Amino acid sequence: MQQNQFILQQGVSGTLELFPHMKEFGLRKNNTIQLDSFVQEKSDCLNLFFIVDGKFEWVIEGEHYVLYPGDVAVALPDQEIGGSKGYYDIGTFFWLQLKVEKSSPDGRMSIGRWSNLSEEERRTIGKILMLNNLPVLKIKEVAGIFQEMRSEILSQELGYVTRVNHLLASLLIIIARQSTRQSGSRRDFPQTFLKLEQALRQNLARQWTVEEMAAMVGLGTTAFTERVKSYTGFTPLHYLINIRISEAIKLLKRPTVNFTDIALDTGFYSSQHFSTTFKKLTGHTPGEFRKRNYANNQHNK
Amino acid sequence: MKNMECVITIEIGTNAVRVMAFDLSGKVIGSMKGSYPTFHVEPDYSEQDPDQMFITMLYVLKNLLNEEVHPKNYHVISICFSASMHSVLPVDKHGTSLGYAITWADNRGKNEAFELKNSSLGKEIYETTGTPIHPMSPLIKIAWLSRHDKERFKKAYKFLSIKSYIIQQLTNGYVLDYSLASATGLLNIHNLTWDSKALDFAGITSDKLPDLVPVFHSPGKLRREYQKSLGLSNDVKIITGSSDGCLATLGGGVWEEGKATITVEDSGAVRVVGKKVLKDERQRFFNYLLTEKDYVSGGPTNNGGVIFEWFAKQFGDFKGPYDIEYTMVNLIHEAMDVVVGSEGLLFLPYLLGERAPIWNPNARGSYFGINIKHEKQHFVRATIEGILYEIYSIGKTLEEHRTINSLTASGSFASIPFCAQMIADIFNKPVSVGENPDNIARGAFLLYATDIGVFKSLDEAARSVVLANTYNPNKVNHQVYEKYYSIFERLSTKLYDEFEAISKYQNEQ
Repeated sequence: MQQNQFILQQGVSGTLELFPHMKEFGLRKNNTIQLDSFVQEKSDCLNLFFIVDGKFEWVIEGEHYVLYPGDVAVALPDQEIGGSKGYYDIGTFFWLQLKVEKSSPDGRMSIGRWSNLSEEERRTIGKILMLNNLPVLKIKEVAGIFQEMRSEILSQELGYVTRVNHLLASLLIIIARQSTRQSGSRRDFPQTFLKLEQALRQNLARQWTVEEMAAMVGLGTTAFTERVKSYTGFTPLHYLINIRISEAIKLLKRPTVNFTDIALDTGFYSSQHFSTTFKKLTGHTPGEFRKRNYANNQHNK
Repeated sequence: MKNMECVITIEIGTNAVRVMAFDLSGKVIGSMKGSYPTFHVEPDYSEQDPDQMFITMLYVLKNLLNEEVHPKNYHVISICFSASMHSVLPVDKHGTSLGYAITWADNRGKNEAFELKNSSLGKEIYETTGTPIHPMSPLIKIAWLSRHDKERFKKAYKFLSIKSYIIQQLTNGYVLDYSLASATGLLNIHNLTWDSKALDFAGITSDKLPDLVPVFHSPGKLRREYQKSLGLSNDVKIITGSSDGCLATLGGGVWEEGKATITVEDSGAVRVVGKKVLKDERQRFFNYLLTEKDYVSGGPTNNGGVIFEWFAKQFGDFKGPYDIEYTMVNLIHEAMDVVVGSEGLLFLPYLLGERAPIWNPNARGSYFGINIKHEKQHFVRATIEGILYEIYSIGKTLEEHRTINSLTASGSFASIPFCAQMIADIFNKPVSVGENPDNIARGAFLLYATDIGVFKSLDEAARSVVLANTYNPNKVNHQVYEKYYSIFERLSTKLYDEFEAISKYQNEQ
């Protein structure tokens, strides 16, 4: 792994001429402590840091953070960042200063046009970073991206401009995704989710929407869907269908309850909707299920 | 295109079901999981909805087949099951579940367990069945139902395990393998029949239990509607399979004497394998069967990774963006900065009471030896050391009966490199860690592969497991740990009276 220090600055070395959106990019190996080397400051750029080794204590927008290897620090335009004691601790890190576009009416940030992301995607990434406002993320893959960017820029082989901009776009995508994953209900998602599950079961007849479920645990829908998926293996709506069918099975095993009642009690629009969903999952219609269950077990006795 | 054969394993765990597909060489084709909740309607209760577990299993199975198996033209020849031990689910004569399933973690039968354990009958039942007398045991749970939930008890046509229920839903057969049965506290593990004294204590007759079958047994064909909805053929062989603990041992690559396997997820266990029952006067170990000839013996702990997670929740840094996994990773970093032995700070991890080796539900946690120089990071490291000293104490008691030369470690907590190295140092033995964390599914695959003759024996199957990383013990560190461990061990027993006293007050609240 190449770990030599370097610094590229717009307008200074010329190497960044073809990347007007990059203001600064470098790797710093800090072996000694220099007072005032990193005082609290804000810039109009998006500032990204990646810790390679060492342990850094920084303040971002007034909050204190301890950063370890594998951590990415993100300071948005106009956010203050600096060392807690005003200097860089001993260690190694990459940093990148990226110019971003700001749409004037709402002050929203958007990634520049240099990438081949769609306009919608560029705005969404900006929105995610601003809304989640998570200054520290753990993303080990960023090391590889920065190293590749550096060697592409320095070796200037065929197609390097395209390659570097690709890498830059993947970097922002990874950061936005991780930011979504890390946001919200952090301390104890399983506990939070259990409470939601109980609420769903208590009122299964209701037509729950993802927005409502997300709101109940205090998350945005995107973050909520991501969390539920990684925790349960299902999207929120599929998880809900699981619960509906589980309850329906119990009711089907009671021969006196009719299908329409079961369907409505367990939150299906109609007995038709219930029947279709049930068959898709279990391979038989509710009627066949009830019949089979009885026939088989009579036989088993 | 060529049609290749594959085996599906279904692992019905405590928090989630994991479905995996293997080709016949043991390569993983795909893996998916789906989780379900545990409900605690009263303090000692721990229950799960069997129908939700069934539907989740079906859903995940279907997704895996449709996304990974069918598109790649694999032909499924078998489905092999594994499940957590000790669950109890009463069903009526239609196979309908009567209420929720009671999981291994349920403690409602603690009075029944206490009463039986301290009687000569209890000692006799332990020796016959191999299962420690404890609220986890189905023996105790059924006894509890017979005394405190008479209505449900009377309605019960059979008392199933959750795995039996799921297999019954898929095939109509009421079966339980000798392996899971050997963890019910009801099976005579020497002659493989239900034990009449245990049945009497539970208040049931053997017809209230599923049919006993070998782990390789096929309970019947997959119901036709499932063949159709899952896109499986009529000849797919359903295999009853075994328990998570036994299969994790096999899948961990341990199937010979001289080795032990350490598994630490939320809870943990140290296990050895042998052809003979491990006899312990003090009833500290379990003896479970895998096949009718192989015993998996060892001791379980309640206080594994769940204790570190507790620590992280209480004292980790959450004011930033951190979620719990992230916080735990950071805490491990902090622990690395502290010298071996945490400069004399000791931690007893008994927050959840303890099973092996002290078997004391009233044991409680404690930090000991704090001095003015200890900082937060010492507590982080001491917590991890305490959890692993407890694992060591199980290992040491096992060594009174068996020689252990080397270890394998698995499970989300024990396989963290920092923890694996610490285990090596504490035990002063080399620790191997496998490449994939899915020991249970791999064990299920190996079981099937042995059945159809891919491997000649379970020993040979276990040897096929690749153990990629080995952590060698550091003698100097071992000496430090050994010094502190002797205090840890003494504290665990010396505090007995105070554990009783404090837990009594806690229980009054």
